[in-house]
Amino acid sequence: MRLSKLVGPLAAAAIAMGLASGAMAQQKTVKIGAVFPLSGNAASAGVHAKAAIEVALDIINNAHPEFGNFPLAKNAGLAGLGGAKVEVVFADNQGSPATGQNQALRLITEEKVVALTGAYQSGITLTASAIAEKYGIPFVNGESVASNLTERGFKWFFRTTPIATDFAQVYYDFFTEMKASGAKTDNIAVVHDTTEYGVSVANTLAATFKEKGHPIAQDVAYTTNATDVQSQVLQLKDKKPDVVIMISYTSDAILFAKTMQALDYKPPMLLADDSGYSDPSFIKAAGKISQGVFNRSSWSVGPAGSPTAIIAKLYKEKSGDEMDDTAARQMQAFFVLADAIDRAGSTEPAKIQAALKATDLKPEQLMIGYKGVKFDDKGQNILASGLIIQLQDGENYVAVFPKANAEKPPVMPYKGW
Amino acid sequence: MRRTFWLAIAIVLVVAYPWVFSTPFQQRLGALVLLYAIAASAWNIIGGYAGQVSVGHVVFFGCGAYAAMGAYTHFALSPLVGLPAGLVASVAIAAVIGVPTLRLSGHYFSMATIAVAELARLIVTNTDYLGAAVGLSGPTVPRNVFDLSFISALPYYYLFFAVLAVTLAITWWMTNSRMGFYLRAIRDSERAARSLGAPASRTKLYAYMLSAGLTSVAGALYAMMFGFVDPDSGLGLLISVKILIMAALGGAGLLFGPLVGAAILVPLEEISNSLLGGKGAGLTFVVYGAIIVLIARFQPGGILALINRLWAKRKTKQESKQGAADAS
Repeated sequence: MRLSKLVGPLAAAAIAMGLASGAMAQQKTVKIGAVFPLSGNAASAGVHAKAAIEVALDIINNAHPEFGNFPLAKNAGLAGLGGAKVEVVFADNQGSPATGQNQALRLITEEKVVALTGAYQSGITLTASAIAEKYGIPFVNGESVASNLTERGFKWFFRTTPIATDFAQVYYDFFTEMKASGAKTDNIAVVHDTTEYGVSVANTLAATFKEKGHPIAQDVAYTTNATDVQSQVLQLKDKKPDVVIMISYTSDAILFAKTMQALDYKPPMLLADDSGYSDPSFIKAAGKISQGVFNRSSWSVGPAGSPTAIIAKLYKEKSGDEMDDTAARQMQAFFVLADAIDRAGSTEPAKIQAALKATDLKPEQLMIGYKGVKFDDKGQNILASGLIIQLQDGENYVAVFPKANAEKPPVMPYKGW
Repeated sequence: MRRTFWLAIAIVLVVAYPWVFSTPFQQRLGALVLLYAIAASAWNIIGGYAGQVSVGHVVFFGCGAYAAMGAYTHFALSPLVGLPAGLVASVAIAAVIGVPTLRLSGHYFSMATIAVAELARLIVTNTDYLGAAVGLSGPTVPRNVFDLSFISALPYYYLFFAVLAVTLAITWWMTNSRMGFYLRAIRDSERAARSLGAPASRTKLYAYMLSAGLTSVAGALYAMMFGFVDPDSGLGLLISVKILIMAALGGAGLLFGPLVGAAILVPLEEISNSLLGGKGAGLTFVVYGAIIVLIARFQPGGILALINRLWAKRKTKQESKQGAADAS
């Protein structure tokens, strides 16, 4: 009787001790907050981002000698902090700028994270990073492309991803090289939806190409989640542009591919701006009738045994899907942040901020096809860039441009089905 | 007498909350409860008292939010300056859409308001001046105190508290005025109210305009706190639904119903998201939805109605006991 009465308090004491030792062990961990859309419209992107960061955590926290000289992989934990482990606290932004900001605040003040990453949608990155700025906590973003994010005069915001102006430059260089090899690229049409993404990319392309003295000949807009795009395709068929640039989300991209086949229209060159055309479900649904489509990506799997190939394998095991460009860019941003904390040798936000400012990563230290990572005063990565990939012989994209990263030469003209 | 006593207790609780629950996240949670209570109380005027279930109130919420952010973006003024502009615009919009839609009854009115809200969202999405799909931002770094961009949630908390107090005072005054009687008569039976000479159309329209103006204040305050509005966060139908559910859950047509609803739903949503959201399975909405379903099934009148009923029961029990004691 007595003993059974004692069991309760004893168990409580044991739990308390367990908690206390847990708290002591925590001094050896570095907590980073990650805000992503884990529910709502963009949940798929958020869940993939979470998987990508969990793979990165595995690489950082465990010894991975197979990665060679890849930063943070060789030994377990962060060497700069005596082998401290990195822990990520995930939070769901539910697709709402308000929720994203609330969760960022909670991660900073309740979870005591030393830095933040996220938040996928540009609008949510905007509000979440605003609270990080107020609290003086570094925020590293790897995927939001709205140009105004780095125009706010923030001191704690860093962005590793290339933005629309960078892509426009890559497209221009690609066309110039294709022209040199005999393809016609003078008459360009841009097809885009009327979302923030579609309009802003189309406007940036128009501005960049105009500046280079090579204005876009045609602008074809449609409403996203379209049910019929025949008139847009007929318009293209009528005007016969040399190059068609597609800026579309998945369902629209599939509809365009099917409509082009139905109306038997093949532009000589079809270039897609990531997004829908990179979605595995696009390749499943319309890959066979979109052979030879060019696309942009900063991610390519690379040769067997390379760090990127190992990452691709780990990611597939974790998420069940192939690594895509967005998840790869998010993962790279997380590596950049972890590397800065490692170099700072401290979890003090100001020291991490200083280390981020001093970041100078070379292409071979990255898992993605940037020319490096180096931030300007506004926090934008000035060495961000992308590759051109092409859907060749089946359902896999291969890198075709620039030459240094190309796995295969580009094939012209667009084959279709 | 008893009423004053409970009111005093409620005020003390609200004033003391941020000092008892003093972490930044808890204070912010408190501020959000008050913010949504303002919006839900505003909705309550037309939806609760007049029984006209508007599902398009987000139009006015967005109007206030856009006016506040627009004042900063286009004129480099304090977002506070946009607040009265948004209020005036909301009242005007309410008058324009109220005249034709308030003739509709029941579900048809709800459907018409949904259509108006979706229309507004599409128009704003395609209007460059209002930031189109990208949205408008507030001052990133506060220039002075009038930008209302604080690190701590405390100033927001007491600001929202003051606005809520004004909103509830207006509502209370209205319910005790001739208009309040008309509205309740209309809610119970519009035809009967008309036959007795109540100016139904005019009264409904006034209530709708008042409700719209107060909702726009909530929208402006929301935008000032978060510093950003885009078509989804300012004009998305989900916000309308959230406001409506809060009022209905707490008790539509009761003065403090929306506050009770907000005090339950906002923490429920934020805390369940904090605890479960990181798991990435959308569990938050499952829990949130389940609780709403339970309440709708077992207590459709709202929490406050339940409390009132229990109170009344206890009172009659006590009285009957007393009566029995007297008799013996």
